[in-house]
Amino acid sequence: MNDEIKIPEGILCSNTHEWILEGKDTCTIGLTDYAVEQLGDVVFVELPEIGSEFNKNEPFATIESVKAASEIYMPVSGKIVEINEELINAPEIINNDPYEKGWLVKITSETVQEDSVGLLEYEDYKEELD
Amino acid sequence: MDKKTFLLEEQIKLGAKLVPFAGWLMPVSYTSIIEEHNAVRKNVGLFDVSHMGEVFVSGKDALCFLQKLVPQDVSKLAVNKAVYCQLTNKKGGVIDDLIIYKLEDKYLLIVNASRIDEDLNWMVRNSLGFDVNIVNDSHNYSLLAIQGPMASDLVDKLGIKKENQPSYFSIKRGEILNINVLAARTGYTGEDGFEILVKNAYSAFLWDKILEEGKEFNIMPIGLGARDTLRLEAALHLYGNDLNEDITPVEAGLSWSVAKNKTADYNGKEVIMGQINGNISKHKKLVGFEMLDKIPARHGYEIYFENRKIGVVTSGGPSPVLKKNIGLAYLDVNNETSLNTSIKTIDTIVQIMIRNKLYDAKIVKRPFVEKKCKKENV
Repeated sequence: MNDEIKIPEGILCSNTHEWILEGKDTCTIGLTDYAVEQLGDVVFVELPEIGSEFNKNEPFATIESVKAASEIYMPVSGKIVEINEELINAPEIINNDPYEKGWLVKITSETVQEDSVGLLEYEDYKEELD
Repeated sequence: MDKKTFLLEEQIKLGAKLVPFAGWLMPVSYTSIIEEHNAVRKNVGLFDVSHMGEVFVSGKDALCFLQKLVPQDVSKLAVNKAVYCQLTNKKGGVIDDLIIYKLEDKYLLIVNASRIDEDLNWMVRNSLGFDVNIVNDSHNYSLLAIQGPMASDLVDKLGIKKENQPSYFSIKRGEILNINVLAARTGYTGEDGFEILVKNAYSAFLWDKILEEGKEFNIMPIGLGARDTLRLEAALHLYGNDLNEDITPVEAGLSWSVAKNKTADYNGKEVIMGQINGNISKHKKLVGFEMLDKIPARHGYEIYFENRKIGVVTSGGPSPVLKKNIGLAYLDVNNETSLNTSIKTIDTIVQIMIRNKLYDAKIVKRPFVEKKCKKENV
């Protein structure tokens, strides 16, 4: 993991190591640098269909590292409106850039406010890990 | 509480990511599994495999005793030679797979960490009436593997000159950096390489020095993650995944390691030789496969052919060299749901169930990646 990783301002992190960033109309979801570090080399990403809906804490994607397949959980309830197609051919982007180019999906969520209760700001999340 | 090898501190300094494995806390990788894998294929890598078991067998009846335990013909083994074999049970199932090294006055058995207890129990139970000493010396020894095309050059530089190095599947006493070691020309990667047995007190010194002296060969420390992908490309079995007590060496595709003309009796001989001669049917058959999709298949996934379940994946994952997903699987044999095994299975397209969807895979030859080490000669 390179040390120059920039943490985007305003992300919230779940205890299952997803991050979410609320934008104007959509929220972007990805994996934290800690999760990526733990996974090691990502070799395959299975993303959900656009339009599918998931509840908070429901698995919506699978990430395969060299060693194993891991499920990725929704930090809030929502509907998939965009997936990061780049990851299909170049899954290693997640290793290199988990917060910018390595995002997983964009969602719309009606309940982002109440569902975000319990998610941690990055600094607090980092502290919890230590 | 997981056991720790004598090298854990060194490994933590190198940034090892640690995982529990077979009761030990071991490095799974230092940098990236793929990088480490490629370092071993291209240059040379250093592995700590001190978790593995070392059992010494000596005494007047040592040979007869070992002959009873394994399908290989240990009587053919010359001093300083080694042989890959299996401890088999009465049904021919595999209790463990191991390498037997013949030293001047005793035999050294290097066994899987996860099976040491079962192996010892089985050996002691079988030792009745034999004049043998079975000594589990695992706690006194560390085992370092130096593997890759530059391994021989590195070991030369470390003190065992090329002309004095053991040949493939041989073992020799020697000095590395003035420390007494047993150097074996064996490994678990499909590459040329050595496994160096050394007393625990010297292992950390050796580890550091090998990495230092290996810099000119671009050496890397290698974790268990790459050990697994390397052995999978070489289609080497992993006990617990591809071998267990219900699978015979014949079913596992290991007939080459069964002595066909061995006169001595051994546990499971009737079943094993029956399967080799075709008098007893095999229940399953090991095959290699590669995924035609980009998705990896993993241990435990089911295999289908014309919508019938015909087998199960026992090892699977990405091959860093082939940049494809590969694996080992057992196909059912001789029952109504099996593939017709009278036709060649190579190139057959099967389907593997991954998260409730079927993906195409092709049965291919093993090993997946050509082995660089020469053939084993007993």
